[in-house]
Amino acid sequence: MTPIRWPSGLDPFSSLRYMARELEQMVGRSLAGEMQGVGGGAYPPVNVLNGPNDTIVQCELAGVARDDLDISITGETLVIKGTKKPPADEEKLHYQRRERGSGEFNRTVVLPNQVEADRVEAKLANGILTVRLPKSEAAKSRRISVK
Amino acid sequence: MTEKNEKMAVGVGRPPRPADENAFSPLVDIYEEQDGTTVLAAEVPGASRDGVDIRVDKGVLTILADAPLAEPAEEYAKMYVGFTGGQYYRAFALSDEIDRDKIEARLSDGLLTIRLPRAAAAKTRKIQVKAGE
Repeated sequence: MTPIRWPSGLDPFSSLRYMARELEQMVGRSLAGEMQGVGGGAYPPVNVLNGPNDTIVQCELAGVARDDLDISITGETLVIKGTKKPPADEEKLHYQRRERGSGEFNRTVVLPNQVEADRVEAKLANGILTVRLPKSEAAKSRRISVK
Repeated sequence: MTEKNEKMAVGVGRPPRPADENAFSPLVDIYEEQDGTTVLAAEVPGASRDGVDIRVDKGVLTILADAPLAEPAEEYAKMYVGFTGGQYYRAFALSDEIDRDKIEARLSDGLLTIRLPRAAAAKTRKIQVKAGE
């Protein structure tokens, strides 16, 4: 998504944006800073970390209660859905500044490997959701000896 | 797990400074309730009560929150990084109408809610003019 229209050839972020669009193979702190804004990137922001035995997905979800979250896994796709509720009695409030946004969100993460759906664990603490997905046996690496 | 919504201390004194210039600016909603109380809701995901420092000094409310992100062990490769841990820092100028002693702050699920009640309006007192001698 390009919020700012740059004259052709001058967009300094075009190469960064191209990298982000590649199939979830990104590492880098600089891009993490740019994605902080609600309008400029997908919500909620996620980190995908791949280990030898499991995959960890972290998600930033400030102000979302556990009951408003719906996490499901189908095959190699993890779907994080939910609602960020605005304060109660919204009509009676007079907003001076509104940056957070509210409403439904839906983020799909394609996992790098097959996982064992029955052993997936999700924890929500301080507004950070951590999902641990153990890899299925077939997905684990195995050394192959050369004879 | 959803955290308990407990009150936190709001301090006075020189405002805290972030550890480095790259502190994040938290997203905030500022709204006024019908009784005139201003509410400030700031998103500080990853921050726990011990890591949040809220201070009021000379009419400026400063929020500084430590929001670390648990780094898994070294054998995890980062395939996609959408956010990092860090510090949240933001300061707000308060209007004179706010009763600074009654500011309340709560932290729950990474959302910091600060209530700033309006001071009771100064009462107008009529002054009797006595006849001079």
